[in-house]
Amino acid sequence: MKATRVFQLTALALVLVSAVQVGWWLLDQHAYTVEKVQVARATYAEQAAAAQALLDAGVSGARVEQLLPSIVVSDGRALLAPQLAQALTSEERRRYNQYAWEGSFFLLALAACIAVIARALRAEARVHEEQESFLALVSHQFKTPLASLQLSLETLALRAPPPDAARRLIERMLADVARMEQMVTQILESARLERGRIELKAEPLQLAGAAARVLVQLEERARVEQVAMASTIAPDLFVVSDPLALDVVVRNVLENALAAVHGGGSIALSARAANGAVQLEVRDSGVGFGRADGARLFEKFTRLPGGGSRYGTGLGLFIVRRLMELSQGSVSAHSDGPGRGATVTLAWPAAAAPTAVASLAAQTPPAQRSAPLEEPRS
Amino acid sequence: MSTASAATHVLVVEDDPHLAAGVMENLRAEGYEVTSAGTGEQALEWLATHGCALIVLDVMLPGVDGFGVCRSLRERGDSTPVLFLTARGDPADRVHGLEAGGDDYLAKPFHLQEFLLRVRAIVRRWEWYRSASATAATALLRFGGNEVDFRAFRARAWNGEAQELTEKEAMILKVLAEHGGEIVSREDLLERVWGYDVFPSTRTVDNFILRLRKRFEKDPANPRHFLTVWGVGYRFLKDGEP
Repeated sequence: MKATRVFQLTALALVLVSAVQVGWWLLDQHAYTVEKVQVARATYAEQAAAAQALLDAGVSGARVEQLLPSIVVSDGRALLAPQLAQALTSEERRRYNQYAWEGSFFLLALAACIAVIARALRAEARVHEEQESFLALVSHQFKTPLASLQLSLETLALRAPPPDAARRLIERMLADVARMEQMVTQILESARLERGRIELKAEPLQLAGAAARVLVQLEERARVEQVAMASTIAPDLFVVSDPLALDVVVRNVLENALAAVHGGGSIALSARAANGAVQLEVRDSGVGFGRADGARLFEKFTRLPGGGSRYGTGLGLFIVRRLMELSQGSVSAHSDGPGRGATVTLAWPAAAAPTAVASLAAQTPPAQRSAPLEEPRS
Repeated sequence: MSTASAATHVLVVEDDPHLAAGVMENLRAEGYEVTSAGTGEQALEWLATHGCALIVLDVMLPGVDGFGVCRSLRERGDSTPVLFLTARGDPADRVHGLEAGGDDYLAKPFHLQEFLLRVRAIVRRWEWYRSASATAATALLRFGGNEVDFRAFRARAWNGEAQELTEKEAMILKVLAEHGGEIVSREDLLERVWGYDVFPSTRTVDNFILRLRKRFEKDPANPRHFLTVWGVGYRFLKDGEP
């Protein structure tokens, strides 16, 4: 890394010196040409003056032209031969043109080199900066649950609380551990995604089935947090995606929605086919976001104020965006403003349903999955 | 500002609900009244109408960060002590926090006992300072043509110049004035003014004395009020050295 930087800086310095050299060479050549042309003009002028003197002294015009081949005599006046004057002017112009073309070509080439090197240096600086802030943020994200964990443990040790208070502390600690585990997973996932070291399959997958699997996993959490989750996805909607990626994307979006509505609310999933794509809409009644925050939502480490993403790593939606890009799909989010809920729309390329399933699905009504508040757990 | 309940009231500003809950439960168990705020804006809003003995302030908050909150408070003349909690524990960050007007600084994850100790130390220090400046007689100190108002942290020097005192300067002056004529050791000053070892060096005390001399002595190089007792500490003479 360091050697590359030294090489880049050296190359940059060399190119800069070359550019200055070329500039100096151009100026020098220009000055040289100007001088040469002036000398030639002065010589011709002297010859013309001499010829004129000869004419005035009574030498015949023909004799003068014979003596001085560059001079023509007309009406008793000695003049420089027109073809010579023209040749001088055109030679002068030719040289200037040559400098202009060659000079600009070289300078352009050098400028391109400088731009390429400067760009590389800037990109490297940006990567470095991102890594720094990544480390700072990651350590911050870990230290908070770690501090909470330590505090709970020390509280247990110091105060020997009654069983129900102890139980509350233990639950808090378990949640902290789960949080850290989730963070590790997400950080690894995002690191892999960022380096593009991930190969996604492209299979036809039933969207309703994938959503149902994730909903089952989140049922318990939704019940505890008093969030009603409902899904109406037609079973004949098939998308082209990687099965694991589809799972991760739907889970991250739903977990995000859960965090946004924590303390009660609703999340609704619906889907439709449009223009060769299948769209999944996840609508929540949560904290929403302002217009300015919408743009940052899918960037790394975006934590929006308002409580929703308190537990997040700030990586969930970044992972969603990368996975959707790699699946040739897209993701967007919309909110009417803070406190007014949000809708995340995921779109995949549509897949033709396997015929047997499609004909079967056409006869069954849309699947209804919901996890209402008091649904008994089996 | 300082009502009866405010003397034991602590404001906890922390955006992580688990950590906030843990800190609050422990403070309550120690007999403090506790209020919590999840963002810097909420904290500033609450502090505009309420007083408290201490603010436990997380640095990395969504929106205005902890340093920003502390700076806003100091700018509006609120001298409520602040204990910073932060995930970053490097010395540069620590200095940054103390410069922003914080009283103490604790890096996450922290030890519960140490946290409680520091809270107690800050609260006790300020309780002493407030009660020692409570009456009209103790709130004002006149010496050598200088006039110090301990409650407003302001002073008028012998040459008529208006002076804004920092909390630490005012506290040092208070300790010295309380022991007028007696020798106060550097360690005593550190203990009374800084409490826990935020600054481990007694050199810090010397620097503050130099600042006080510059503010209030007619000739800081030959002090008549803030006298050095070599190898021991300092002695304050209200009427000046005869």
